[in-house]
Amino acid sequence: MINQNAVYTDFLIVGGGPAGCMAAIRAKEMNPEMEVTILEKAEISRSGAAGRGMDALNNVVVPGIGTVEEYLEAVEIVADGVFDPEISKVIAERSFGILQRLEDWGVAFPRDKDGDYIVNQFHPKGRFLVEMRGELKKIIAGETRKTGTRIFNRHPVVDLIKDGDNIGGAIALDLESGKPRVFLAPTVLLCTGGAARIGLSNTGYLHGTFDCPWCNGEAWKMGYEAGASLTGFEYTAQSSMTRDFNGAGQSTFIRHGAWLVNGLGERFMERYDPDRMERATAGVRGRAIIEEEQAGRGPVAFSFSHLPPETVDLIESAVFDVERPTMREYFENKGIDLRSDPVEVVMTEVYLCGGHGLAGLVGDAWGETRVPGLFAAGDCLANPYGFLAGAMCMGEAVAERVALRKARRPESPDTDERMENLENLIKRHRKGSLGVPVREFEYKFRRLVNEYVAPPKSARKLERFLKETDSMAREQDDLPAVDPHQLMKVFEAKAGLFCARMAARASLFRTESRFGLYHERVDYPDKDDNQWKTRVLITVGPHGPLLEKERP
Amino acid sequence: MNLSFDRECCIGCGACVEHCPGHVLAMGEKDQPFERYPDDCWYCGVCQVECPEHCIEVIFPYLIR
Repeated sequence: MINQNAVYTDFLIVGGGPAGCMAAIRAKEMNPEMEVTILEKAEISRSGAAGRGMDALNNVVVPGIGTVEEYLEAVEIVADGVFDPEISKVIAERSFGILQRLEDWGVAFPRDKDGDYIVNQFHPKGRFLVEMRGELKKIIAGETRKTGTRIFNRHPVVDLIKDGDNIGGAIALDLESGKPRVFLAPTVLLCTGGAARIGLSNTGYLHGTFDCPWCNGEAWKMGYEAGASLTGFEYTAQSSMTRDFNGAGQSTFIRHGAWLVNGLGERFMERYDPDRMERATAGVRGRAIIEEEQAGRGPVAFSFSHLPPETVDLIESAVFDVERPTMREYFENKGIDLRSDPVEVVMTEVYLCGGHGLAGLVGDAWGETRVPGLFAAGDCLANPYGFLAGAMCMGEAVAERVALRKARRPESPDTDERMENLENLIKRHRKGSLGVPVREFEYKFRRLVNEYVAPPKSARKLERFLKETDSMAREQDDLPAVDPHQLMKVFEAKAGLFCARMAARASLFRTESRFGLYHERVDYPDKDDNQWKTRVLITVGPHGPLLEKERP
Repeated sequence: MNLSFDRECCIGCGACVEHCPGHVLAMGEKDQPFERYPDDCWYCGVCQVECPEHCIEVIFPYLIR
């Protein structure tokens, strides 16, 4: 039976970040008649990881500076051989076109004295970061609105609808009314970011994370349950960030030449990667920072005192004026002046991310998952080190594929069954018989991630995590939620626990050490050449998750 | 609390509430914004830059101050 109150659309986009907005714009360009709808958890002009601002477009193959081949070599190094070159190739080939579109729309790309883009190196190889200024997200959101795309803000998606083997739509929670709403569509794009709240931040503050804390892997859980495959969950990423602030700086500091120094004032990366120094792969840099601390040579810090004053000005304008204005106040509160003071660094909490790491939904070169009609893009899609430009490139690619499909209505969507399940679940959460606040629940599993899933990993610890969290997985549907916001937090926490348990399973399955710090197995301390270029896929099976190896 | 609203200066336009990416803010009595869910703030500063009257000061959560 078809739900009478359902909203029909040709192309349903879950998440209005850069990937989702770019997909909507491209779809309407390809076919202005197409009904395109965005469901957004926040408000699209400020939502997601890029909502406040971004100081560089990362990564772009700028003609004359980089090549597609060089970009693929760079991704192979940072992903330690474990990536799908087809997707990275799409990103490399489209990236400069994205930059040109953004510039046409009014996003600022400062030029050097010769009138060229300012392109810096952050990765171990090649220059792909283009300096950027202006209100990127507001501009993209404005362009999206011009297309006539229907936008439902404050509508987090909580379940997917199937139409036989195909995707059939999604159910969102209207945060104003607290009621679920049905959206039916033959094609659905998931682009809700990564999962930020997996490990516990060093401060203990639950939302004090490196990545956007309102993205917590909900689409990964829903996509997996609908039949799509996940990959890269053993790549438990951590970033080297300003102590306690956690949220911004690393790539800005490194690409402009900041040094990592230990407590003795030594530029210690010499010991760990003398060729690449601070531009070593993230896992090697993370390992180095931890080793310096453990050897008693901490605290580790970024140092800027060797840089010319104009470079420090550039760093400050990038971070303070564009990316995170609150960082200026943070440094002022701490009495830190970049011209003279080092900025202490810690490794952040464990997180999972498709564009900053390896974790995500598995898609083909057009972002389509194993479920026909279900696509992924942005940090939701496994597109190692695609970052911001990769999100927009894949948003475009998905839209072009969707535009070629004949519009049709889902024939027999499982809406009634899904809605009944969801309404029963919401009733359970209103009752909340577990009696434990969701914050306490979240704190507990994230503390356990720090103890058992974060490196150094071992089979004993990973199995222990799964055992310790078995009861949490059983109890999670009885977490109390008395209002729509709390209900959203419960769904986020459940997705976080799901991701953490998948990270433990994938980490158990990859019986080698790889990715520097991120997947150090003390019981398998060496790299296994047979596992090079091999991904770990996780797919739902009749008795739980099925794990398998795959060479893309 | 992570935010300080200057009540003299606030015109009650609701821009901070509308744009907060974390659904942290709400409008209270007499069109005055307040932090309904302060524990969910990322101190990203969106409310601050969206405020047309510059009435909002970000105060870092005690745990990270």
